[in-house]
Amino acid sequence: MRKSLFFTMLVALTTLLTSFVNQDAAGDRLIGVWEPSNGRARVKVEKIGSKYYGKIVWLKEPTDPVTKQPKTDKNNPDPALQNVPLKGYRNLKDFVYAGNNEWNEGTIYDPLNGSTYSCTIKMTDKNTLEIRGYIGVSALGRTDIWKRLEVKTKK
Amino acid sequence: MTKTKTSSSSIRILFFLCLFGGFSNSGWSQTDTAKASPETTEEEDFSQYDDVGFAESGAKRYCSPKIEGISPQKLIGLGFDYQAAYKMNLGKLTSPSANGDSLQYNVKNSSGLRFNCNIPVISKTNIVWQMGANYWETGYIIEELDPTQGSFTSNPVATELAENGLRTMGLNTTIFKPFNETNFILFQGSADLSGDYNWNLMPAKYLKYSAALVFGKRPSERKQWGVGLARTYRVGELNYIPIIMFNSTDAQNKWGSEILFPARAHVRRTINPRNMIFAGYELEGQSYRLYRNTDYRSEDLEIRRGEIRLRMVYECSLKDFIWLSVQAGYRINYRYDVDRLENGKEIYRAFGLLSKEPYVMTNSLTNPLYFNVSINLVSP
Repeated sequence: MRKSLFFTMLVALTTLLTSFVNQDAAGDRLIGVWEPSNGRARVKVEKIGSKYYGKIVWLKEPTDPVTKQPKTDKNNPDPALQNVPLKGYRNLKDFVYAGNNEWNEGTIYDPLNGSTYSCTIKMTDKNTLEIRGYIGVSALGRTDIWKRLEVKTKK
Repeated sequence: MTKTKTSSSSIRILFFLCLFGGFSNSGWSQTDTAKASPETTEEEDFSQYDDVGFAESGAKRYCSPKIEGISPQKLIGLGFDYQAAYKMNLGKLTSPSANGDSLQYNVKNSSGLRFNCNIPVISKTNIVWQMGANYWETGYIIEELDPTQGSFTSNPVATELAENGLRTMGLNTTIFKPFNETNFILFQGSADLSGDYNWNLMPAKYLKYSAALVFGKRPSERKQWGVGLARTYRVGELNYIPIIMFNSTDAQNKWGSEILFPARAHVRRTINPRNMIFAGYELEGQSYRLYRNTDYRSEDLEIRRGEIRLRMVYECSLKDFIWLSVQAGYRINYRYDVDRLENGKEIYRAFGLLSKEPYVMTNSLTNPLYFNVSINLVSP
């Protein structure tokens, strides 16, 4: 009887652990380098702890036309952050994989106006993301399509 | 007994292997990122991202409907419009009914609420489709005339304005379709019900349809332009006119233009992305059906109201996505004449090129100062 109970527990635990691992693997498909539809930037998504974050790794126009210096987050409403370089800036934060090819609970930051929006990410195929930034409710928002990029390894 | 013990310890070993194996697996997956934290980013050779390609063959880039630095699009707006005192010279209604007296009225003010909304239905890289609705009203406070001259009822239009005012409500749609990184088309269409109605709306047969189609280019992040054609009531009566779009922002993101000529044209001065000042003009107008008074309903009368608003506009973010817009300027009357439809059909004059048919009532308005204030929810 005890042996049978132990086996049942073992199978349940193994199934649970396997599902965690599979869930991790499914969520990790977000990791990579992506390009928003406007082609102005490239964003590298990585995993920190159990959440997903994206940072700007490339800018079409990396230099500020006025200062001739690398662009900074000059539109940030917090003056203390206005000198932070845009390259390397985390514009996607706190995404959690929710299953069904969707990541939510995160935010997206728009350096063009210094605003942060609620955001959900849906992977429509392995190379395409629908990024929806919204205000309060999802209906008041805008969806952008991001495409996965292949980074060529340097020889 | 011994066999059972052996089996039991094997199971325990297997259990712990599974347990630690599972956790360690997830532990390994975090090892690479354990050094990073959400608040900091590691030093990285960003040059490796210069030369990249799409992972998917055939993926395309499309131009965005917005340019850098342009004022934010308003999703929902509620405002109040106020025109200060002016004089209104209303003519006599000519044949066939030959009704009313030609009189001058003093309008103390005309004002009303304005509501607009624009909600994205589809918002994707390769197409953006929005649907919107609007409700504008204009109430008229008109001074009583000297009894020896007449009263509101001496002129049918004065009666309608003083007692009912004018309203317009409608639905609109906007479609932005990019073809590639540079070229796009923009379509806007609307159906409006305008008249002196109240909660008892007029029949849908009095809807007025407007549309515009623009073929545009977006040569850079800071410039887009286009040319097209519009069917419009902005000067009060139906017209088909060419239109020019030109939106731009300078390299310093200080100055720009937001132009959809001839409907509106503004120069923009950006103090910062949350504070902007505009100087320019907008054409406003509609054809308002005189419907409520049954005496005139059968006469198919419509007020052709068109005005030019020379103005300064200040827009700023009050908190996050809630923006205030304040306008002040000069309202210049372009037309306020009354037309009678011929067998229910509008007379298409094409600015007098196709028809010189006179209006059945010719009116003139002096030009007052006007103010408009609105609170808006802006789009991401």
